Amino acid sequence: MLEIPLITTENFITYALNGLSRGMIIFLVASGLSLIFGLIGLINFAHGAMLALGGYGTYVVIQATGNFWLGLVISVVLVAVLGLALERKVLYWIYDEPLLGFLSTFGIGLVIEEALAVYFGSRSYTVPSPLPESVQVLGVSYPSYRLFVILVGAVVALGIGLILVKTRLGLEIHATANMQPTAEILGVDTARIYTITFVLGTALAALAGALTAPITSMYPTIGLDYITMAFLVIIVGGMGSFKGSFVVSMIVGQIIAFGWLVLSPTYVRILVFAAAMVFILYKPRGFFGKAEVHE
Amino acid sequence: MSDRLSDVRGFVRGLPRRPLLAVGVLLLLAVPFLFPSQSDLATEALIFGLFAISVDIVLGYAGLLSLAPAAFFGLGSYTVAKLVVDYGQSFWLGFPLAIVLALVLALVVGYVPIKRRIGNVYFVLFTLAFGAIVHDFTFVTTWLTGGSDGLGFFGPPEVLGIDLGGNTEYYYFTLVTVAIVGYGLYLLIKSDYGDILHATRQNELRMRYLGYDTNRELMIAWLVSAAVSAFAGAVYVGLVGIASPSLVSFALTGDVIIWIIVGGTGTLLGPFGAAIGLVFVQELLQNLWQGGYRLLLGILFVVFVFVLPDGLMGLLRDEE
Repeated sequence: MLEIPLITTENFITYALNGLSRGMIIFLVASGLSLIFGLIGLINFAHGAMLALGGYGTYVVIQATGNFWLGLVISVVLVAVLGLALERKVLYWIYDEPLLGFLSTFGIGLVIEEALAVYFGSRSYTVPSPLPESVQVLGVSYPSYRLFVILVGAVVALGIGLILVKTRLGLEIHATANMQPTAEILGVDTARIYTITFVLGTALAALAGALTAPITSMYPTIGLDYITMAFLVIIVGGMGSFKGSFVVSMIVGQIIAFGWLVLSPTYVRILVFAAAMVFILYKPRGFFGKAEVHE
Repeated sequence: MSDRLSDVRGFVRGLPRRPLLAVGVLLLLAVPFLFPSQSDLATEALIFGLFAISVDIVLGYAGLLSLAPAAFFGLGSYTVAKLVVDYGQSFWLGFPLAIVLALVLALVVGYVPIKRRIGNVYFVLFTLAFGAIVHDFTFVTTWLTGGSDGLGFFGPPEVLGIDLGGNTEYYYFTLVTVAIVGYGLYLLIKSDYGDILHATRQNELRMRYLGYDTNRELMIAWLVSAAVSAFAGAVYVGLVGIASPSLVSFALTGDVIIWIIVGGTGTLLGPFGAAIGLVFVQELLQNLWQGGYRLLLGILFVVFVFVLPDGLMGLLRDEE
């Protein structure tokens, strides 16, 4: 008994924009994971904890200064520094072992999340929206903060996309991902490429956490839901394919935004996960992926 | 430090095995007399010990990391709870049914990924998705699972005049079942099949050259693990009296992975002991520092992953 309610044009635009802003957050998480997974082959389970740190960091700075933007910048920078330390001191040594990589990032993520739980308690926090007013978009009144999220996502997508395609750094990242020993022989400092990629990916997770803080409430394990979704997005999009994770994030955002009209949100999530399982089995390279992750 | 360590190793290895085993068995038998107020906790610890063993078979012996063991554990719990609470059937009918359902589910979920040899990384993500689906499913199908309220409450029945609802009685019931199933798994691992699994993990290609169908061997390990996990879940629901979504949560999966790593992958006894030990440590710590337990658990886990990847058993067993 599927009952499709009639939706007005205004509602349609609102849902589409909701889907877009939601998709952008998923994209920020997924693109960071995808860079790390696609290049290093590391199942980075600490990614969700980095997202949580970004959100809580923003909250702390807002409590101290009252300024959301300052919080956003500070928490992203601090988490990036943490990512740098983590990569250089710990993860660098275990890139060759995927199982150990999963276990160690799982443990590190657990420690961060539990430290947050001990310090902040397990209750959820909210942050007031820094842009509380609404603006008129295509004839509907829409919160300007969500438009800002869409804008940030688009800028990040474009920026990283350009770096990957147009710059020397992008070339070196591609070379390292495809054939690390050959890239090394040809003079690419692959250790540096790994570090840059990991730090960039971690910073994107923190950015997603900070951006999502005014929209949804935060709790220490908030990252788990996001990274589960993000892992599946990058599989469907194609391992290591930046374009793939962007396109699939947008699609998933729209599916979630419109899906609840016909199904409860949990069923929508189940369907997305089930689709990802089918992809893992029959099309592990996804839509845009070129090579599989090496074992 | 290492001198002390080798002293400890020498001490442990020098100890006569059989008397040590006897002491362990006596201790387990005497728990309800020595610590009457802790019977429930000891029951829980034993069940989680069995659960850890069942997952160790897949992770430690078959080398497959699954992120969905809690799905099978929860399936066992929900099967028993559903039969008793909603259909008014016998508690005991739930056990075989739980095992059969777990086998069917494991076959459906595991057949294609194992046959297509999707590789470790993909298997981890595949089971992550499966676990997330089962968790979501448990919340959303209120008509089947009771949603976030779960299915409860009920107690285990009377058998031969013994009321299993009592703490001590259920402890002994759990002890006997865990001992039987655990010993069965031990025999399985000590059998030729265990050697084949071990060899497959070391060098799968060579085993295939030797004519072994390694897919089939992995499949058997996966099915046995799922069945025993479900069985442990079924025993567990008799203890707590309610099947709730926390039994299929990722947190429980995380716990069981931690128990295995801390105890030592592929040792059976290590994960069993680590699960029991950590359940008691949790109880102790929760009185001292509410909420800090999981933080310490995480730190402990990271230390083991980096410093002692062979776990406690590896620490005690080998020089190198």
